[in-house]
Amino acid sequence: MHTPLLIIGGGLSGLAAAIRFARFNPDVLILEKHSRVGGLNSWYYRHNSLFETGLHAITNFAPPEDKNAPLNRLFRQLKLRRKDFSFHEQLTSEICFTNQEALRFSNDFDLLLHEITSKFPGSANQFIKLVETIKEHDPFQTTPFRSARTYLDNTLNDPLLVDMLLCPLMYYGSSVENDMDFNQFVIMFRAIFLEGMFRPHGSIKDFLDRLLNHYQNFGGKIRLQAQVARIIHQGNKVQGVELQDGEIIECDALVSTIGLEETLACLDTPPLRQTQGKRLGFVESIFRLPSECRKDLPTDKTIIFYNNSEQLQYQRPQTLVDLTSGVICFPANFQGLAPQPYFEVRTTHLADYSSWKSLAGDKIAYLTAKSNTASQSKTTVEKIIGNFTQHVVYEDTFTPLTIERFTAKKEGAIYGCPDKIKDGNIGYDNLFLAGTDQGFLGIVGAMLSGVSMVNQHILSRL
Amino acid sequence: MTRDEIKDLILEIIKDIDEDADFDTLQSDLPLRDQLDLDSMDFLDIVMELRKRHKLQIPEADYPQLASLTSCVNYLEPLLKNI
Repeated sequence: MHTPLLIIGGGLSGLAAAIRFARFNPDVLILEKHSRVGGLNSWYYRHNSLFETGLHAITNFAPPEDKNAPLNRLFRQLKLRRKDFSFHEQLTSEICFTNQEALRFSNDFDLLLHEITSKFPGSANQFIKLVETIKEHDPFQTTPFRSARTYLDNTLNDPLLVDMLLCPLMYYGSSVENDMDFNQFVIMFRAIFLEGMFRPHGSIKDFLDRLLNHYQNFGGKIRLQAQVARIIHQGNKVQGVELQDGEIIECDALVSTIGLEETLACLDTPPLRQTQGKRLGFVESIFRLPSECRKDLPTDKTIIFYNNSEQLQYQRPQTLVDLTSGVICFPANFQGLAPQPYFEVRTTHLADYSSWKSLAGDKIAYLTAKSNTASQSKTTVEKIIGNFTQHVVYEDTFTPLTIERFTAKKEGAIYGCPDKIKDGNIGYDNLFLAGTDQGFLGIVGAMLSGVSMVNQHILSRL
Repeated sequence: MTRDEIKDLILEIIKDIDEDADFDTLQSDLPLRDQLDLDSMDFLDIVMELRKRHKLQIPEADYPQLASLTSCVNYLEPLLKNI
């Protein structure tokens, strides 16, 4: 078969790219390796109930009237009506550095401003100037990597404040150890601190179902469990793909959302360049608790970014997991959610892919390590949020191997390879990269990545 | 199409992009983008809609000619004269 546009990957960037194209031409096909869409943000069933993977919160909250906000631009580009969606804003989140300092923030930026003014009075003026710079900076220009940490060290003059500000931004979107690109910092600062966090009504499945429906209403097609074995090309021109089962699908243009190295591995030619730096892996745990226990745990906090060591180490650990820092999320603590019989505590920590990989051959050792990691995670976060271990009715842990297996992200690195291809151009005439390794992260970022790559490279050739 | 019909076509396309767009105070000779809070991504939609509806291929170099309502009409009038 032949299709004008083929998209590899049915995650949020692939879905958005496909919807954007289908709006003007229904002849587009998504190929998804897994049996369901969503990629990093998906779901599974256990004991007849649905568990979300990935999603803590969506960043980039904006009220409907703020037309230029990324969220609203995205909705217009996909022809989705804000009115048809209901969103729940976060309550308060916190950056908590044990025995050092804590900063609260919410979707009202004044809270963070007030916290910084009172807790870091010596840096308050510089912080206000930094915010002005962030508001005026154009982060979408393609410039070489520039260290956000160095910039902040020089501007704020307070290493603790720098670490505290970087902590949530790195955890929610840095593929680089202990740092991030300044442009990426600006995007993430706006997304998390200036705009804020929310979640859609219902589950991530409901959200994905709506996107998929919308896409199919435009006439777009999708194939699940369709794994691309190789991309067929002659020189720099892509002709189509060959699926695992031998079927060949021809196309005029191809958008790949599966990652840079993952895409290059499907091409016959050697990689255009070697990627630098280590991939960052994570472990995520879900702890489900009966609603009676809610009163024993924070009910006013949505997300806590914590650090227990003297200096934050956002880097690949040498052991299975580094519990000295991490993220604690309460998916029940968003505004306006109806009470449910159960609620969850979710934790995320940095992990070392190779340590987990070395256990892969020994099932018992692997499962033991997984269960120990979950226990240690509970004990660690209990010191911050209070005890809950004895009430857990269900728990599950995803290691970098789990993430690699279900999302096909190499080494389970959810934020992809450290260097990004901002213009999506990897040296082919009609093959472009979108999603994680293009460099816009988070759900809104990933979707805008899909949209902007289609706008830049595909629609203009129609 | 007459000039008025072209004008209505553009407004209809914009309404389709942003159903809350407010045309009451729209001035024909001023840039649409500033008045309606449209960005370059929305602008591409106007071009794409014209292509979809009337098979018009507008080269990127000509996009600036679509800046205001009046310049849109001036630019599109010869292209849509037989429709």
